[in-house]
Amino acid sequence: MVVARDVSAFDSIPARSLIRVMGYRSIGLGSIPAPRAMNRHKSGDDLVTIRVERQGDRASVAPAGLFDLPHAASVAQAIDGAEPAIKGCLAVEVQLSELRRIDGSGAALLARLLDRVAADPRCTTNVVRNGNPEAARLIALYRGQRTIEAPAPPRPGRLARLGEAGAQLPGLATGAFNFVGSVAVALLRAALFPRSVDWRSLPRLIQEVGADALPVTSAANLLVGLIVGFLGVSQLGRFGAVIYVPELVVVAQFRELGPLVTCIVVAGRSGAGLASELATMKVSEEIDALRSMGFDPVSWLVLPRCLALVLTVPLLTWIGDMVALAGGLAATTFLSGMTSRAYVLETLDSITAAHLLTGLLKCPFLALAIGLVACRQGLAAHGGAAAVGARTTTAVVLSIFAVIVVSAVFTFFFALLGI
Amino acid sequence: MGAPDSHISVDDLRIGWGTRVLMEHVSFRVERGSTFAILGGSGSGKSTLLRYLIGLEKPQAGRIDIAGVGAPHLYEGVPPFGVLFQSGALFSSMTLIENLELPLTTWTPIRGAAARELAQAKLELVGLGPFAQHRPGEISGGMKKRAGIARALMLEPDLLFFDEPSAGLDPIMAAELDQLIITLSRDLGITIVIVTHELPSIFLVADSCIVLDKTAKGIVAAGDPRRLRDESDVPFVRGFFTRSAAVVAPHQGV
Repeated sequence: MVVARDVSAFDSIPARSLIRVMGYRSIGLGSIPAPRAMNRHKSGDDLVTIRVERQGDRASVAPAGLFDLPHAASVAQAIDGAEPAIKGCLAVEVQLSELRRIDGSGAALLARLLDRVAADPRCTTNVVRNGNPEAARLIALYRGQRTIEAPAPPRPGRLARLGEAGAQLPGLATGAFNFVGSVAVALLRAALFPRSVDWRSLPRLIQEVGADALPVTSAANLLVGLIVGFLGVSQLGRFGAVIYVPELVVVAQFRELGPLVTCIVVAGRSGAGLASELATMKVSEEIDALRSMGFDPVSWLVLPRCLALVLTVPLLTWIGDMVALAGGLAATTFLSGMTSRAYVLETLDSITAAHLLTGLLKCPFLALAIGLVACRQGLAAHGGAAAVGARTTTAVVLSIFAVIVVSAVFTFFFALLGI
Repeated sequence: MGAPDSHISVDDLRIGWGTRVLMEHVSFRVERGSTFAILGGSGSGKSTLLRYLIGLEKPQAGRIDIAGVGAPHLYEGVPPFGVLFQSGALFSSMTLIENLELPLTTWTPIRGAAARELAQAKLELVGLGPFAQHRPGEISGGMKKRAGIARALMLEPDLLFFDEPSAGLDPIMAAELDQLIITLSRDLGITIVIVTHELPSIFLVADSCIVLDKTAKGIVAAGDPRRLRDESDVPFVRGFFTRSAAVVAPHQGV
């Protein structure tokens, strides 16, 4: 009559999750002596109860009602209430005849209760099968499949994580230098073997990172020109020096703001696009497929993207410079009495080859920094969709930071050289 | 409404995009508690048909009825079925146990320890108990599928859709999965719809099937797969079940 964890019939079954046992089946409890202590543990509603009858170190447990997914919260609550009354018993008998319905969820919760009770090696648990054999089978299934240990992957503490992060820095730096080196090698290889590069993708890439970016980079530069013009008029105007505003706009825009603003916009737009494209290719094994066919992904994918950026960013910057001059003109003529003709003449006087070239000269390097960072991050993706998002975010942040750093380095050297 | 013992009824379905028709005049019934296979060669539209059955796409014409309540409407309550996608389709930003808890915490009031306990129980049911805190990127393809099954079972559905469950699995793992399908369907009464072209699985688990063909743009045979193999007079169907390219090729116009 009493079956103790008869799971043998189900050991070979990998999963059995759903069973609905309808109807009320009752069996007598004549074999159980008169109880010394009896508790009925109800959930929030009356649909789920667990009756525990305890006599010394023996307990009889009788779940009753609806032990299914819709009532799983009540089942968990009733189990929480019943568990202290069962703990410490050396023999636990489970009567299932009062169950009105049970499914995988109810069975799992009951099975885990019995597992916790049976964790005491002195304790034996018996599930009475003949009162409700299907429910007993289901509970046995969840108990039979239980693994002994469920160790979580090691999760280091904060200090350990800090140490890990620090220890990774040399590797990250080495990886970055390796990547730059592999790009340099790929460049040489491209010169010797032009077919190692996917030249067919170059027009599309130029369109995507260049022509398609023109509206947004122009708009950003226009606004920057307006801002510098407004600032110049409001500040220089206090000293009657509005005449110097055109020169301020030219110098600030051509030398620093033009390349910086253009490249930050390109980093946010095209850098993110390139990183997510390569990251998606990586996680979907397209990169592995390329490599397996003998293509070097750096030559095939990275070089055309970097080249497209190097070719288009100076052009975007130059157009941005021109648009910014128009912004400066609009702001100055709007806020001061300077005429458009006077502004244009002053601007033409202010433009020198040094101003123009110092800005345009660093553009290819800023573009290269964006391309290298974005492609490196994209190719380093590992995992699934989350990795693509994470690498894209990192690519944007790092490429903007790289743009600022490279621009600062150039400014420093130009200042040293007195250009 | 479908027949009383039909879990799924499909009547005169037409599937396509714009003026392009992928398949039409598709009609079949899936009996409650049975295992039903959707078969066909590559590109025949098996997985596409599955997308329509689970409500991800709207048919151009025809009717799909699940459990007598009409076509499935997603986002309007607890889904009346569970789905195992080809790759497992686990959310890579979550651990396995978080993947399993998601439907539970979305559609039921179960939270906290109870939700975690139920999710852990389901993971252990498919043999992945020790991997609860792993992310999908840290486990194998077969384990992802098993985790996908566990997630599909979280809401205790009585209907399960499996899209190419054996694809990419080793024979032992595929056999275990077949055993699981048999258990869920024949012992527990869960209706299973399985998209596959794995012949050993078909003969082992399927009670009935339809065979799709892209040339015919629809169903070319329906019934017990074993009988179709032995008795069908359609060359493509015989070729499909006997893996005979010589029989299949002329029909496909190769």
